[in-house]
Amino acid sequence: MEHYRPAPGTPIADLDTPCLLIDLDAVEHNFRRIADTYRDTVCKMRTHVKNLKTPILAHMQIRAGGTVGGVCAAKVAEAEVMVEGGIHDVLIANQVVARDKIVRLCALAQRADMKVGIDSAQNLRALSEVAQQHGVTLGVLIELDTSMHRAGIRRVEDGVELAKLATALPGIAFRGIMSHQTLPGRPDKQTRLIEGRRFMQMCLEVKEAIEAAGIPVDIVSTGETWTYDVAADLPGVTEVQGGTYALMSASYGYMDEFAIAAKILGTIISTPRPGIAIGDVGVQALASPGGVLPALEGMPGVTVEALHDEHIVLHTDGTTALKVGEQFLLHSGQQDILVNRWDQFIAVRHGVVEAVWDIPARGCHH
Amino acid sequence: MERPIFKPIGTPVGQLDTPALVVDLTLLEQNIETLHAFFRHREARVRPHVTAHRCPALAHKQLAAGGTVDGISVTTVGEAEVFADHGFHDITIANEVVTPQKIRRLCALARRARLTVAVDHPENVWHLSEAAGAHGVTLQAMVDIHTRLNRCGVEPGQPALDLARAVQAVPHVDFVGLMTYAGPILSDEPELMAAETRRCIQQVLDTRYLIERAGLTVRVVSAGNTSNYEIAGAMAGVTEVPAGAYALLDARYGPHRAQFTPAARVLTTVTSRPEPATAITDAGQKAVSVDLGLPVAADLAEATVASLSAEHCRLRLEGATTGQLHLGDTLWLTPQDIGTCVNLYDYIHAVRDGCLEAVWRVAARGQYR
Repeated sequence: MEHYRPAPGTPIADLDTPCLLIDLDAVEHNFRRIADTYRDTVCKMRTHVKNLKTPILAHMQIRAGGTVGGVCAAKVAEAEVMVEGGIHDVLIANQVVARDKIVRLCALAQRADMKVGIDSAQNLRALSEVAQQHGVTLGVLIELDTSMHRAGIRRVEDGVELAKLATALPGIAFRGIMSHQTLPGRPDKQTRLIEGRRFMQMCLEVKEAIEAAGIPVDIVSTGETWTYDVAADLPGVTEVQGGTYALMSASYGYMDEFAIAAKILGTIISTPRPGIAIGDVGVQALASPGGVLPALEGMPGVTVEALHDEHIVLHTDGTTALKVGEQFLLHSGQQDILVNRWDQFIAVRHGVVEAVWDIPARGCHH
Repeated sequence: MERPIFKPIGTPVGQLDTPALVVDLTLLEQNIETLHAFFRHREARVRPHVTAHRCPALAHKQLAAGGTVDGISVTTVGEAEVFADHGFHDITIANEVVTPQKIRRLCALARRARLTVAVDHPENVWHLSEAAGAHGVTLQAMVDIHTRLNRCGVEPGQPALDLARAVQAVPHVDFVGLMTYAGPILSDEPELMAAETRRCIQQVLDTRYLIERAGLTVRVVSAGNTSNYEIAGAMAGVTEVPAGAYALLDARYGPHRAQFTPAARVLTTVTSRPEPATAITDAGQKAVSVDLGLPVAADLAEATVASLSAEHCRLRLEGATTGQLHLGDTLWLTPQDIGTCVNLYDYIHAVRDGCLEAVWRVAARGQYR
């Protein structure tokens, strides 16, 4: 655990580095964009807190508007942090299988409207059994695989069967269906819209089949940051699970209506050879899955040459001089992996610290 | 903060809350014994580089095994602070400490531990001297020599001598010697590894000779790591080897270092079986780092880790394995890089003979400053 808490009013130049900054103007812009998009739509945002890991950021989006009033989480431990942080509607968009974890889920259901994704009858029966023992009702959404080749049912008929079983089992409230989507690379807007619509259509097909069997479907929870606008005007989709949009990352640069809010501040500690500077941020603090290097902010002619455990190697062509003690800003390629490596956000506005927020769900991979 | 369900000591490992970082104590102790035995009767000693695990309980086991300089090596001031608070009194920060904030922390820490820090620029030496004088402490400095990776360090030979003289010239900072960080040298051919190791370290030893001829005393020459400790530690003139990865090991070192066994692995639970050939488990990139590649499901024949997303591992199953692995079953993943993996956890579950024996804090997790 870190013990660093610069006072509000501290200029960025005085910060001890490396640290994880949130640009407040940028994050507020992103929250407003969501509020504006979903102001008059049936579909609303259900912000994914696997990215934010911090209740205050979830509350900021809920207050800004455009949401279902709740969040989604990936793990039971994240959901616990959110419920403790005052959120009362949580969808765990994932399977909760181990008995210990189902018990924790039921304990949360005493205090919050808890929903969970399912993709098998065996898991559904286990949820029902523990929920009955605890005298609670768990909401369930059937997870459908559209493109990830991960969890989720593969066939419409399986969805109908699971919905029938969910309706019949005590301690279970069948609420609807959910899905994640993936689109590799940097799609153009046309591709994004076509693919996003195609994936959501697959969800709506399952919804129609379940409704045809006489079972009402309240929730169709789908989407990602990159489909937020597609979902907004697709009848039948009730909510979007978006996470990255709030803090953004370099890999979502094609969604340029959102601004990069999460940045890593580092300092140059050595300029050992001409054109080379070594910074105090490495893989440990940055995360670079697959060896993807971070991007530098506002340093023309400077490139990231390599990342070591605790160091970054910068190269300059001479356009920007690099000196020991100077700071630099980095944008990480994968935002939620990045946030998960930090205990605090240092929230800044116009170059000055405004707040320091703990990240209580960091490490909550349980 | 990681929030596992803590199970009672004695709990069978398969019942731990997952994902969990689990160390097998028997294997850990074997790894430590293998490396420390090598150093017990040598001029060179091991200085465990604890950034590899960030865990004071584990570091105490390393020092208790003998063959050490009775001190540890870290990378950041924050790590040094944590380990000093856990009773370590001789700490080398194998890194440059340059900003005023960090130099202040370094001086404060020097009141309760013997601190050595790497330098590669005279200006930094002057700043250290000034601050140490103001705080009434003495710091030890090693000249960092660039031999292999494009990272910190002055060039060997005259530039290193010039910097050593600059350290010698200032008050409140003692010149203690030389270090180089050449990184892991992993090769299938031991001769190549040995030759590259000798090439790097010989430059430091030649520099040592040059500096001693100039009348300065070189007490410390720090070089080598888990990939080449037996070569580095046998070179006359090397006084300490800051090895770290050997204790827990990982899938990256494993194939090249047969004398050690991966002792730390991630326990994960099957949460979805959407198709016979696919199993999804609850350990993704937030539970097993993939900065240096995908983990390995070493115990499972005919199972391959196909991908890790943020929260999930996707296993591709073949043959008879397609009929195994049911919902709720647990399995092991060996990370490619244990250093970045440990840094995702607040606790290491220490087991012996399949039962929980202790829960250790990863007290220096996240100490990037």
